[in-house]
Amino acid sequence: MRRALSSACSVGLALAVALFARRASANPMDAFGFGSRGPAMGNAVSADVVDVSAGYYNPAGLARAPGIELSVGYFRTSHFLSMNGKDNEVDPVGGLVGGIVLPGKILGIPVAFGVAVHLPDDRISRVRALRQEQPRWELYDNRNQRLFLAANLAISPWPWLQLGGGISFMSSTAGRLDITGSANIFNATQSQLRHEVDAYLTAVRYPQVGARVELSKRAALALVYRGEFRLELDLHARLQGDLSQLTTAYYALAAYSINAFLPQQVVFGGSFLPHDRVRVNADLTWVNWGAYIPPVATLTAALDIPPPQGGWPPGITPPSQPTPTAIVLPRFSDRLVPHVGVEVKALDLPHWEVDVRGGWEWARTPIGSQTGITNYIDRDRHTFSLGAGIRLIAPGKFLPGDLRLDFHTSFSWLPTSVTTKADPTDVVGDYSAGGTLWSGGVNLAVGFR
Amino acid sequence: MIGVSGSLRRAAAAVLAFGLAAFASREAHASPEDIFGYGPRASAMAGTSTATSDDYEATYGNPALLSRIRRARLVLGLAGATFNLHATGEGLPGRISVLPAVGSVIGVDLPLPFGGILEKRLALGFAFYTPSDVIIRGRILYPETPQYPLLPDRAQSLAIRAGFGLDIGYGIRIGAGFGALAEIVGTVLVATDATGRVGSRVEDQLIAAYAPVIGASFEHPVLGGMLRGGLVFRGALDARFSIDIDATKLSTINIPVFNIAGLAQYDPLQVGAEVAWEGSRWHLAAGLTYKHWSAYPGLIEPTIRCPADSPDCGSLQPVKLDLHDTIVPRVGVEHVVPLSRTASASIRGGYFFEMTPTPDHLPQSQKWDVPSATLVPVPTRFFDASRHVLTAGFGVKVTKPLLLTVDTYAQLHVLHPRTLTLDAGASDGGTSTADLSGFVAATGIVLGVGF
Repeated sequence: MRRALSSACSVGLALAVALFARRASANPMDAFGFGSRGPAMGNAVSADVVDVSAGYYNPAGLARAPGIELSVGYFRTSHFLSMNGKDNEVDPVGGLVGGIVLPGKILGIPVAFGVAVHLPDDRISRVRALRQEQPRWELYDNRNQRLFLAANLAISPWPWLQLGGGISFMSSTAGRLDITGSANIFNATQSQLRHEVDAYLTAVRYPQVGARVELSKRAALALVYRGEFRLELDLHARLQGDLSQLTTAYYALAAYSINAFLPQQVVFGGSFLPHDRVRVNADLTWVNWGAYIPPVATLTAALDIPPPQGGWPPGITPPSQPTPTAIVLPRFSDRLVPHVGVEVKALDLPHWEVDVRGGWEWARTPIGSQTGITNYIDRDRHTFSLGAGIRLIAPGKFLPGDLRLDFHTSFSWLPTSVTTKADPTDVVGDYSAGGTLWSGGVNLAVGFR
Repeated sequence: MIGVSGSLRRAAAAVLAFGLAAFASREAHASPEDIFGYGPRASAMAGTSTATSDDYEATYGNPALLSRIRRARLVLGLAGATFNLHATGEGLPGRISVLPAVGSVIGVDLPLPFGGILEKRLALGFAFYTPSDVIIRGRILYPETPQYPLLPDRAQSLAIRAGFGLDIGYGIRIGAGFGALAEIVGTVLVATDATGRVGSRVEDQLIAAYAPVIGASFEHPVLGGMLRGGLVFRGALDARFSIDIDATKLSTINIPVFNIAGLAQYDPLQVGAEVAWEGSRWHLAAGLTYKHWSAYPGLIEPTIRCPADSPDCGSLQPVKLDLHDTIVPRVGVEHVVPLSRTASASIRGGYFFEMTPTPDHLPQSQKWDVPSATLVPVPTRFFDASRHVLTAGFGVKVTKPLLLTVDTYAQLHVLHPRTLTLDAGASDGGTSTADLSGFVAATGIVLGVGF
């Protein structure tokens, strides 16, 4: 009976994920991790996560949560990325992280629900569209300036198996803009223009699913899938009227672009306890960067501005049909990203525990050499991290659980190298680029048992 | 505005293209709960929840009542609404086409199991509504286009709410929470680069907008049941979008900065007061909700913004409607029928009257007429009407072997027939009338599982 119910619940969970999910995910967490324990361990926790951060690392871990947990924290990453020795002033990423884990049992089977959120300091998300020729740190400049919000369900049909899945939320855009009236080219503020807009933000829900298998009390394996997501921008515009009553003007435009794209990923991870006080984790993440689509718009335009009676005034050139943008597809390659983490229980007292953590990860750049007109800058990234966690057990009668404070810091090194252009007359020319990233964070969690 | 020189021509293309990219990222939300109420029980009981909620619905109804939550629960559901809105008269289409609203509901009841003096006193609630396809609709049409700007589009929005409630004893509960939306600000800068080509930089940001919800309640045993009074304050949810398209540095020719701005969604500041009596079988509730519509900032901003030192610069200004504050009376009833020792059913019903905040007389707007090269008057067809709303619902609750709840609701909003006077609505430019009527039907079903 229990096994049948377990199977039914598992199928139900899979169906729920399939019903609610469309496409899949990625976000600032991919670059910097979630919470403090995971980043301190090189983000190698897919087989060893039971807290709120399981909402990102591996939803299956939620089913192992020992009780209700509330968590809130803060993290920040500062970029020191430069080109030709000059800092590119890539904006920092920072914000609140937190969530809830709500575990329980349904007909005796452990289940859990979790919500995980990263709310950036200054904005929910940002769109920044640049010409493809303009140099930019493609993976750091804008990609991480966005909200992460995920809801997950997990179940443990057998004590050795946990399954989990859920959805994250984003939206694509379709819309129409219309501007009509008279533009006064001699006194702009006296223009008699008005506009109407009708825009839709359509739901993009992308899934993450995970599994964890406990091989023994000292070893576990995990498999996680995070799908691809792309935010589309599909727009139509019309501008109609006259130009200071000299002539009429009509301009229609359709624009389509993928203004955000994050690749699907598969994570295979393991967690081992070689000693009662020592845990060693390792994850290997396959990132499907090869499917990357650059955020450059495809434009279709129609223009009709007849010459005024008597011809154009001297010094004024009549407009002509705009030429479409020729998008040069960048060469991105799939990558395997190794992560390693170690946790040592430094202090183990009846009411106190202290863990010390360290980690490393290596992300090879997926972007091919930028010898042509595009300038999507990136370099290999080596990240070293440190952290600690303090756990206060049953701190008082009012809290029958624990209080945990975790913090971390990490340093990423992107070795400087030179990009050489094939065309010696290239407007941007050869350049060297590289830099460092510094991250830090703190997280406070309240657990009820 | 479209170029009269080579660089200006390219500017026109770039301005429009990137302006579109900018504005289209806009994401401004509002709350369907203001129209339909939040959750199946409140929606079935005419939106009464300020003194009756006992679960996640209280994040909107009255966060103080979240402290009544005793068991963790997760709910998932579906909700939808169709709109049959009419406007008849000279130049009017009859039925006005609008999209139905369909979405999913997620709610979380989370009692915090503290010990000591906090035992069974503190709980959290989370409430989400996500439309299935169009999660936000920001639609601001030309004023002469017949439209109901305060009704169907406001239902096309994500809703996120969270709160906590604390039972401080002596029958007094307090709580607070928030509703979250997002608004967009951005810039599009178009300029000529060193090579003589038109370059651009587009930057849009979604910025979170929050509105507080603060509530309190007091309860006392009366007539074998519990008499409870509730009071709630909800701050205004004001979600604008504002994109400046600036091509002034493109050439020496004077191109205006386009101000693509307006109010995508808006919920007014509200104060709700309610009294409820809960017996073993019958639950009765009645309340009033005050809505501060007179603070409505207007639907759209001028495309050309006047300089600060010249507020009457002569650019075309959109009409601004003067809305008035409203009061919404509500009554709801629930009858609980025991089915067994571990199961019960609930039958619910209610009525509320949603008064329109819009005036009976709509002033004219203006548009530029190219053939005559003059500004001409056009009618302002921003329609709205008061609604009589009948609500009903049914729920089943099973407590063993697991806590399981199923709740449904249905609402019928009947527009109170109304005749508006429209300046410039007649074909000869004179005054005309618009007769408004129609209905809105809404329904939903929610399944809850206790942990």
